[in-house]
Amino acid sequence: MRRNRLTPYLFLIPGCTILGAFIFYPMLKAIWMSFTDYNMLSDPKFVGIENYKQLFQDDMFWKTLIHTFIYLVCVVPLLVILPIFLAVLVNQKIKGVGFFRSAYYIPVVTSMVVVGVIWDWMYQDNGMLNYVMDLLGVIDQPIHWLTSTSTALIAVMLVTVWKGLGYYMVVYLAGLQSIPSDLYEAADIDGANGWQKMIRITIPLLMPSVLIVSVLSSVAAMKVFDEVYVMTGGGPLHSSETLVFYIYKEAFDKLHMGYASAAGVILFLITLVLSILNIKFMSKEKTA
Amino acid sequence: MKKKWLIGMLLAFVMVFASACSSSSKETGSGGNGDKSNGKVTINFWTMQLKPTFTDYINGMISDFEKQNPNIKVKWLDVPASDLEQKMLSAVSSHTAPDVVNLPVGFSTKLVSMDALVHMDKALTKEEQDKYLKGAWGAYTTQDGVRYGIPWYVATDITMYNADLFKKAGLDPNNPPKTFEEAAKDAKTIKEKTGKYGFYPSLDLSLPLQYMVMMGAPLLNKDGTKAAFNTPEGLHMFKYFTDLYKKDLIPHSIVTDDEQKGVEKYAAGEVAMFSEGPQFLTQVKDNGPDAYKATKTSEAITGKSGKKSMTVQGLVIPKQTKHEKAAVKFALFVTNAKNQVAFSKLTPVFPSVEEALKDPFFTKVPKNAEPVDYARISGAKQLKDAEVLIEKKGNEDKWDDLQQAMFDALQKSMLGKESPKQALDEAEKQWNQILSE
Repeated sequence: MRRNRLTPYLFLIPGCTILGAFIFYPMLKAIWMSFTDYNMLSDPKFVGIENYKQLFQDDMFWKTLIHTFIYLVCVVPLLVILPIFLAVLVNQKIKGVGFFRSAYYIPVVTSMVVVGVIWDWMYQDNGMLNYVMDLLGVIDQPIHWLTSTSTALIAVMLVTVWKGLGYYMVVYLAGLQSIPSDLYEAADIDGANGWQKMIRITIPLLMPSVLIVSVLSSVAAMKVFDEVYVMTGGGPLHSSETLVFYIYKEAFDKLHMGYASAAGVILFLITLVLSILNIKFMSKEKTA
Repeated sequence: MKKKWLIGMLLAFVMVFASACSSSSKETGSGGNGDKSNGKVTINFWTMQLKPTFTDYINGMISDFEKQNPNIKVKWLDVPASDLEQKMLSAVSSHTAPDVVNLPVGFSTKLVSMDALVHMDKALTKEEQDKYLKGAWGAYTTQDGVRYGIPWYVATDITMYNADLFKKAGLDPNNPPKTFEEAAKDAKTIKEKTGKYGFYPSLDLSLPLQYMVMMGAPLLNKDGTKAAFNTPEGLHMFKYFTDLYKKDLIPHSIVTDDEQKGVEKYAAGEVAMFSEGPQFLTQVKDNGPDAYKATKTSEAITGKSGKKSMTVQGLVIPKQTKHEKAAVKFALFVTNAKNQVAFSKLTPVFPSVEEALKDPFFTKVPKNAEPVDYARISGAKQLKDAEVLIEKKGNEDKWDDLQQAMFDALQKSMLGKESPKQALDEAEKQWNQILSE
């Protein structure tokens, strides 16, 4: 009897050790570091809340925070809604659907560096996107996608959405396949059309998946870094610099470890609050 | 009750493990693997991105050194350029720094401002120091004259241009531009006649500051406490780039691209001319054989000051080393004339010791000469007049911020957010603020 009680915890030890050593310990240490002046070379000096005070007076911090929120507001709805339609499409019983499923998933497993390089070409002044738009007569002058302050952030967002679609599609696909088909048969008998079935059956029953996707995609949007790093380096004129990119620059270019940790702690708090709100709000809607 | 006890155990276990991780790293310093028991020391040598091209060269050099110094064993590690800073940082912060490192100036200045590097002006005799090019010492030297890195290989920017595109545009392919003004004029002709960009003056990293110095604007006042570039020459520099950009004579993406992109564009035949170190020609040769074949070289484009740039790669020795003497000995060996000439024969870089530059390899054009050979001779010729253009005057730790402030202001002007004058005034204001902090 006693042994039985102990066994599950023994199994938990390896996982907990790894999580503890590589996630929780660094997290706690970062929180501690945020109260110090630390450059990785000399010993950290405790400075209290000085880093936070400076941070709130730092224009770049606010600027990148705003960019991150813009990112969140634009990217998350697209990543919550678009994959539902994709999932419904590839949930049909037609020939070759396996091909489409994997095709939509390929961007997810492609390395961000490769994706960045490809889209960098697409966005060039003489690149694919400008060429097609010119052909269609939409533009006379090429759009400087990545090199104009007004479009750089949007161009990077598009890549995030493009790359993320497949992943969230799979989440929805799993949700779709757990919806019993007799509901649709009953709706058919009642004379419901496709749109009504979507609104009345599919979407309500997909709500748990929508919740997961919205939490996952908002956390991902708050943390966006790779796209920015590979494609614009935050430029031109910081117009595509996000909070995590700013933290990276402070920490590893300027060696302001304590300061960067403070910004990281703020990011953590924002993400935490957002996730809690998301879950509260969404689960209420589900029960309503 | 039992449960609580177990969770407590688990937590304790995790804590112990975590603290073991952080404390154990402190004890194994660089000397940890230096086996002193039989009088033999091991030094760790880090290079930046030399594998696999130079594996044989470095290994050969190490085995020669070990034969001459049977008491010293050299352990070589090659680190990709992009990882070097972070690897170095974590090594220094965990007290496991290597003994000899090929570390770029930019990052070394950060370490020296934290007093983490051995001072070479003390570790080397005057005679040993005088063997190196004077201009090359300019790189690894602080405001107070502390020399903290031994110059290894150096590069100087020369002009490389695509003679085919020059011909197509009706320009004389044997008379490339020598000044920024001529370059702008030729860029216009090339754009009009061929549709290609004539010129790619990269704005990566410290380059805007170098252009400023070349065009005759000093960056800082004498004692390095105030910005000094808000002069007619400085304004000219802002106007020059803004004008090129607005007239679409340089690629639009120049505001976000690094200098690597410029080399790629040149190799693809999209750009007719760029100023870089001759070592970039090997990339052009690999990626754009057509552009390579059409390449001619000449002395660097410069401005009113007539100055030519030199960049230096040096070897530094972290203060944490336990074998300073052996490390210095090895660093001197790596950078001696014989080894440097051999290195230059493998790749288009220049030696930092004067004696090596007298080798016929740098003075005589060989039979069946290729663009790389001409580039080497053009470069070696201007090396004596070349200098490190940027003097940081004691502001090493602020340099990133200063560089960024200048780049931001220049971008504002180029993107039309501000007039060149407004942008330059702002850059001056920003610099003075950063310098006063």
